Amino acid sequence: MTPADRVRRRAVGSAIVLSVPAVLLLLALFAVPLLRLLALSVEGGSLVAYQRALTNELYLRVIFETFKIAAVVTLLTLALGYPVAYVMATSGRVWQLVGIAFVLLPFWTSILVRTYAWMVMLGRNGVVNRTLIGWGVIDSPLPLLNNLAGVLIGMVHVLLPYMILPVFNAVKKVDPNLVLAAEGLGAPRWRAFLRVTLPLTMNGVAAGVTLVFTLSLGFFITPALLGGGRVVMIANLIEEQVRELLNWAFAGALSAILLALTLAAFWGISRIARTRSA
Amino acid sequence: MTPIKLNRRELMVGAGAAVLTARSAFAQGEPPKPKQIVVNASGGSMNTALRKAYFDAFEKETGIRVVETSPVDLGKLKAMVGSGNVEWNLTEIGGQDGALVQRLGLVEKIDPKLVDRSAYPKEARGEYIFASSVYSTVLAYRTDVFAPGKQPKGWAEFWDVKRFPGPRSMRNHPVDNLEYALLADGVPADKLYPIDMDRAFKKLDEIKPHVNVWWTTGQQPAQLLLDKEVVLATGWNGRFFDLMKKGAPIAVDWTQGSLKQGTFVIPKGAKDPYWANKMLAYMSDAKRQSIYANELGYPGLNLESIKYIDPQAAPHMPTHPENLSKQFWLNVAWWDGNLEKSMERWKQWLLKK
Repeated sequence: MTPADRVRRRAVGSAIVLSVPAVLLLLALFAVPLLRLLALSVEGGSLVAYQRALTNELYLRVIFETFKIAAVVTLLTLALGYPVAYVMATSGRVWQLVGIAFVLLPFWTSILVRTYAWMVMLGRNGVVNRTLIGWGVIDSPLPLLNNLAGVLIGMVHVLLPYMILPVFNAVKKVDPNLVLAAEGLGAPRWRAFLRVTLPLTMNGVAAGVTLVFTLSLGFFITPALLGGGRVVMIANLIEEQVRELLNWAFAGALSAILLALTLAAFWGISRIARTRSA
Repeated sequence: MTPIKLNRRELMVGAGAAVLTARSAFAQGEPPKPKQIVVNASGGSMNTALRKAYFDAFEKETGIRVVETSPVDLGKLKAMVGSGNVEWNLTEIGGQDGALVQRLGLVEKIDPKLVDRSAYPKEARGEYIFASSVYSTVLAYRTDVFAPGKQPKGWAEFWDVKRFPGPRSMRNHPVDNLEYALLADGVPADKLYPIDMDRAFKKLDEIKPHVNVWWTTGQQPAQLLLDKEVVLATGWNGRFFDLMKKGAPIAVDWTQGSLKQGTFVIPKGAKDPYWANKMLAYMSDAKRQSIYANELGYPGLNLESIKYIDPQAAPHMPTHPENLSKQFWLNVAWWDGNLEKSMERWKQWLLKK
């Protein structure tokens, strides 16, 4: 065994030791309750709850809608978040700090407060509509609230930091000399971005997409309050089963299905990301 | 000293004697006082009124601190009882959930020796259920859109969008709305149950395009009216009462309002049940109930309390004789058996294009 091997082995050993508390914490606070939830869903060894969830049109439709909304939210946060992250990462130190502050301040504000704030902004007599009518841009108020548009606006706002921060990090890591080299070899700026920066930041994009997509799947306050009742996501139905109907077996089955589909999506995204960055 | 050795028989006799002496001690005085009791309720202005009407006096007279928590959460109640770690001594539950918690064995009996409800209507003296107040889901309107007297009266008129145009808001829930739909369709109030779901949903189809917001939290309909997002809304009478007291251009029409009982229960296995019952005794007191009612517009069920209600606030009470006769009582027993089925159908109906 060479000394280098020994050092490596010791590093691995201490890594295992150091991760013990975190692993125990996760086991106790996450894995055990999760297994109990799964056990609840097959109460009495029966799969009735799963049968009901997978054959009733309502639940299938809501699951489909949930994934659709999560996908749209992810694309919107990517389209809005990437440029912000890019500008932040490539500007000076002061502007970077200002940018981070603007991203993080709403991030630390309660989601409920932000959702209510959007209700004030987007209503028929809300700030946005009154301003637009005052300027003569529109005659009658735009339907921005109590529909899918309101839910998308609210969710994108809440989830943007989860896209911006990983992408920001990835852009910062790109060696500026590589971009300079590409430009030196005659590439216009947009081509240098497409061929150099974008591929090198795909890891950050993948991380952001994964975070935003999986978090979207579990949203329920924002759709309940900004959707006016017209937007139902699977978490709303799970919450109803847990808190109002006290049917925990069925809530467990719905959660298990959501978990399985989330893991599948997670696996899908990471596969795409790997083939892209390889 | 030699250690005392007891055989099993002696031990049992000893334990029996200990129980007997403890019993007689209880009969003479009260069980030991805990430092505090925890009462879980809806929160917000309701907790403020609970404190003003009941908690402050309870603390002063017993020396036991009352800790308030919120919100009302049936799932949490079930989890607490299931795990045996019951944090609440007393909790509010939704008016329609009384039968459910009783069926699932989540609540303790109320001690009739400690809580005197002789001045309550007979139907409101539940063995496990303490009816704290009456509330009603009523119709509220903007007075600058419909002059008082020209507002829709009853659900048939609420459904009439030609005579009463403008966006509306209703609760995102089948409770109340199925009843309203049947009433709008001409079913008499005493023939509502069992609810004809097909007929109710068919009638709801008519109003659906005119409902701007299906609300989920109690504050929403009040806020929607205040912001003029809608001109007509269904909601809990106390929320509108609060706005009217502050001078908002809002009024309530009581016709065919849906009456329910605000409900408190003692969770199964809760600590210090004696003191929870004592609190319920405070909460059944006529004078104290009137303090609560004047504040929130939710009168108590102690029929004597009417005498103490502020004459200015009296017309805003769902139990005011003039209002009471216009409304109907929600049938909690029917909902207990049909809630899950109707909620599923409600969601399906809502998502239907």
